[in-house]
Amino acid sequence: MKAFWDKVSKNHYYKMIFKNPFTYVTGAVLLSIFQIAIFASTGSPWGVSGTFANWGAWLYRLVGGNVDKWYYFSSEGAQATLNNGILNHTGSWLNFGIIAGALVAVLLASQFKFKKIKSLKQVVAATLGGLLMGYGARLAGGCNIGALYSSIASLSLSGWVFAVFLFIGAFFGSKLLAKYFM
Amino acid sequence: MQENAATQSQAGSSQIRRSKPRKKKKNQVPFGFLGLLLIAAVALVLGQKNGTLALFWVFGCCFGFILQKARFCFTASMRDPCITGSTSVTRAVLIAFAITTIGFTAIKYGAFVNGGQIPGQSYVMPVSLATCVGGVMFGIGMVIAGGCASGTLMRVGEGFGMQILSLFFFVVGSLIGASHMGWWTLNFNATAPKVFLPDVFGWAGALILQLAVIGLLYIAADKYEKKRMGNTDED
Amino acid sequence: MAEFTVDCLGEACPVPLMKVQKQMEKMAVGDVLIAQIDHSCAMKNIPEWARNNGHNVEIEEVDDGEWEIVIEKTK
Repeated sequence: MKAFWDKVSKNHYYKMIFKNPFTYVTGAVLLSIFQIAIFASTGSPWGVSGTFANWGAWLYRLVGGNVDKWYYFSSEGAQATLNNGILNHTGSWLNFGIIAGALVAVLLASQFKFKKIKSLKQVVAATLGGLLMGYGARLAGGCNIGALYSSIASLSLSGWVFAVFLFIGAFFGSKLLAKYFM
Repeated sequence: MQENAATQSQAGSSQIRRSKPRKKKKNQVPFGFLGLLLIAAVALVLGQKNGTLALFWVFGCCFGFILQKARFCFTASMRDPCITGSTSVTRAVLIAFAITTIGFTAIKYGAFVNGGQIPGQSYVMPVSLATCVGGVMFGIGMVIAGGCASGTLMRVGEGFGMQILSLFFFVVGSLIGASHMGWWTLNFNATAPKVFLPDVFGWAGALILQLAVIGLLYIAADKYEKKRMGNTDED
Repeated sequence: MAEFTVDCLGEACPVPLMKVQKQMEKMAVGDVLIAQIDHSCAMKNIPEWARNNGHNVEIEEVDDGEWEIVIEKTK
């Protein structure tokens, strides 16, 4: 059995698609095709971080909180989404899919390894970075996908403005990283 | 000369190889195929209930697969020029912007000339102080956490403990952000303009302008990299 | 010809690349650096950076999801 799988993983075409990494440009073309496909078929471009706010609301409900009075969740649509639950939420399945797709890609390349948190620095970086991203994404109305990629492709000025300030943030982030998190 | 150096390096590395006992590698490919079957099974189950959910699930899996295979990282596109001067990811992102712009504009224009409502206009967002502050916060956050939203999800799939933690705090941060959105909306977003470029420049004008800007950024990124790397030969 | 090793196991981008850059600056021409990494992005961006700077690079997959990048400083 093992011999069969070893043979599969040595196959030229298998290596081409599943073992070796794609070039960045190949990735760009494929992502574009799927972006256009998701927009054409669902009427809405790809977004990632709006879903995280819903995940937050569900978590908050689990610990006894209530978000119904918040402006952000006050619309009828937002309330309906929250009441339908995570398993009926399209955006959540999209995000679960990203995790599953990446996992399968790594397994098919036989490169999976669980990487434990190594140091306190990483804990601080992940905590601080996560909080900043979460808050920032809500202010800007999305992340690198929704507010940047999908916005720019939707011919929206907001995407370009976000890009400029994102770059400024990344510049300062790089300085911080070099100074404190290495 | 170049070849000589290369053989030396090979001699050096083979020495290293001998000194290190090689572990027997496991083959994870069967688990990969099992994963593919599970993805299909989940899609079938979801499809019984609601076709749209299955569609989103499959799209998510495709995005995750592509992001991982290409190591496509929107964070790197903004960060690498600052840290290493490399712009290869930046240029790939610009290519994605250009292709997707053409496709999106076609879909939007198609709906427009047929008299329908233009889809996806919720992604034309207000330009306000919130956009600027949010952009800077997000930029700092993604660099120190080692991945943006899609990158974090992808790295959770790759088995990164650190990104599981940052995903959790991303969710917490989103919740805090959402709780303050009333204030931001009232003070900034409610009066801020939502600029859809075709409203200003016309459909053709907006498309041409945007592609030209992307093209110029591509050239600038390429020149910048060559300057930073001190590498003048074309490849 | 000296040999150096940097342990970047468990580090996320861009820390591995920054560590490699730092170490390379300290090394003399002809020295060899072995970067141990387990981040699949670093397996792409470290060799790219090193090649762009004209160094000799070799990648070896030492285990599932673990690589050693061998870089020889050439200038």
